Amino acid sequence: MSAPAWSRRVALWDEALAAVRSYFRGAGAREVSTPVRVAAPAIEPYIEPITAPPGGYLATSPELAMKRLLCRGSGSIFQISHVFRRAELGRHHAEEFHLLEWYRVGEARYDAVQRDVEAVVAAVFALAGRAPPRRWVRRDFFDLFEETTGVTLTGSEDVAGLIAGLGAGAAARWLPLAARWRERGGGPADPELARLLAWTELFTTWSDEHLPGWLDRQRAQGAGGVHVDAFPEVLAALAERERADGRAIARRFESHVLGVELANGYRELRDAQEQRRRFERVNALRQWHGQPALPLANDFLHDLESPGLPPCAGVALGLDRLLMLATGASSLAEISLALGSPVPAG
Amino acid sequence: MDVSDLRKNAKLKIDGHPYVVTEFQFVKPGKGQGLYKCKIKNMITGSTMDRTWRSGEKLEAADVETKKMQFLFRTPDAFTFMDKETYEQLEVPEAVVGQDSDFLLDSMDVEVLIYERRAVGITLPSHLVMEITECEPGVKGDTATNVTKGAKIETGLEVQVPLFIKQGDNIKIDTRTRSYVERVNK
Repeated sequence: MSAPAWSRRVALWDEALAAVRSYFRGAGAREVSTPVRVAAPAIEPYIEPITAPPGGYLATSPELAMKRLLCRGSGSIFQISHVFRRAELGRHHAEEFHLLEWYRVGEARYDAVQRDVEAVVAAVFALAGRAPPRRWVRRDFFDLFEETTGVTLTGSEDVAGLIAGLGAGAAARWLPLAARWRERGGGPADPELARLLAWTELFTTWSDEHLPGWLDRQRAQGAGGVHVDAFPEVLAALAERERADGRAIARRFESHVLGVELANGYRELRDAQEQRRRFERVNALRQWHGQPALPLANDFLHDLESPGLPPCAGVALGLDRLLMLATGASSLAEISLALGSPVPAG
Repeated sequence: MDVSDLRKNAKLKIDGHPYVVTEFQFVKPGKGQGLYKCKIKNMITGSTMDRTWRSGEKLEAADVETKKMQFLFRTPDAFTFMDKETYEQLEVPEAVVGQDSDFLLDSMDVEVLIYERRAVGITLPSHLVMEITECEPGVKGDTATNVTKGAKIETGLEVQVPLFIKQGDNIKIDTRTRSYVERVNK
C-alpha cells in the first residue's frame, strides 16, 4: 500500500490521538504532560539518549517522570509524549517518536493493562478502516522459547548454565560475546553483569531468528495479537521479579501486532534499593561496552523510597507503529507528519 | 567507529580489507541489542557478503577514497595516472590495473581507489568507444545473425564483433563484460 496522502495523514493522527484520549479518560485515567528535557533519563543498556545542552537529555521515555507523579498520588495516568533515541533509524525505528504510556494504579492491574493494549489497538485499527487482530494470545517466554528452539530454560541460569543449556556448539551463535569470553576470557568481572549481557544476547538472537516465524504462524491462524509474557528475571528492566512454577521470571510482557513489536508492560518495581542496584548494573554494562555512564535518577529513587510508588502496572506503546500497522503502511515514514528534510541523525 | 555510525555507503576495514556497506537495515527487539544488518562489498575484489553487527561492537573505518584520474603513460611494471584536481602523479602497479590495462588509452579518465594511501584498484568507465584498427573486410547485409569475427581495437585488444564491422569503424564496448555493444558514429 502506498503512503496515505497528507490530508489523510493529518486526519488519521487527529482521530487516533482523540481515540486514545477518549479510551483512557473513559477508563478513569488522567492525561499528564511531563518535561521532554530531563536531567537523568531512564538507564537502559541499549537505548542512547540524545543530549540536550547545557546539561540534560531528551527523554527516551516518560517513565520516571510519570512514576514520580504516581508516587505523589496522581492515580491512574496516561501520556502521549515525544521521545528520542539516538541512532535508531530504520523502517520501524525513528530517533523521535510518540510513546503512549499509561499506568493503572491498584493491585493486580497487570492483566488489565494487557486488555488496554488490545483495546487501543482495536480502536486505532477501527478508525483507519482496517480489521484489528481477530484474536490475541498470551504466552510465557519460557514456553515459547522451548516451543521454538527445543531448549528448556528456567531463568536462573548464569552464563555457564546458559551455554550448557544451549549446547556448547550453538552458544557462539546465540551469545556471540559471552561465548567468546568463555574461550578467551575478557568478560565482565561481576557475574551478574555477565549474566545480564548473556541473557540480553540470548533474547536478541531469539527475537531476531525464532520469534518472527512463530508470530507469522500465529497470524496465519488468526491470532494477529500476541503478548509474550513472564520474561526472564534478568531482563526485568523496571518490572517486579518473582519465582513461579520453578522459573525465575519478571512480570514483564511485550505485545506484538501483525508481527511487529508494539508495546512493553510491567507490574512496576517498587523497591528503591533494588531499582538502584539495577540502574547501577546497567550503567556498569554501558561502560563495559564503552558507552558513557548516565547520571543516576536520584530524585526518582528518593520518591520510590518515600512517599513510595503505589502498586501499579504500566505500558509503553509505540503510537507511530500502531498507526503504521492500522493503515497497512510498511514504514514509519509513510505515516509521519514530518515535512521537509530530516533532522541530521544524532 | 561505533556500530551506531553504520550507514549505507560507510567504509569499513575488515581483516585488512576495505568494504563498503551497500545495504543497511536496523532492527531492534524490545530493550535488546540493536542489530545492524548489512550487505557489504569488498572494494577491491567486488565480492559481497552479509554481516550483522550488534550494539556495543566496535568497527574500524577504512581509510579509502576514490579519485578521478587521467592515464598518462605506462612504464615496464606500472601505470602512471594524474589527479585531475591537484595534478599530482600516482604510479599504480601493473598487478592492480590487471586486465583493465587492455582498455587504457592516453588521457583516458578513470577512477582510482586509494586505500591507506595506496592505489588498490581502478574503475574504467562502464562503456568506451574504440576504433577498429584491424579486421577482415565487412560483410554487407549480414546484421541479423549472431556470427562474429575477431577485430583489433586501438589498444591492441581483440574483441568479437559482427561481420558488418569494418576497419576504421567506431564501436561501443562494455568494459565489464569486455564485449561489443554497438557501432557508433563518431
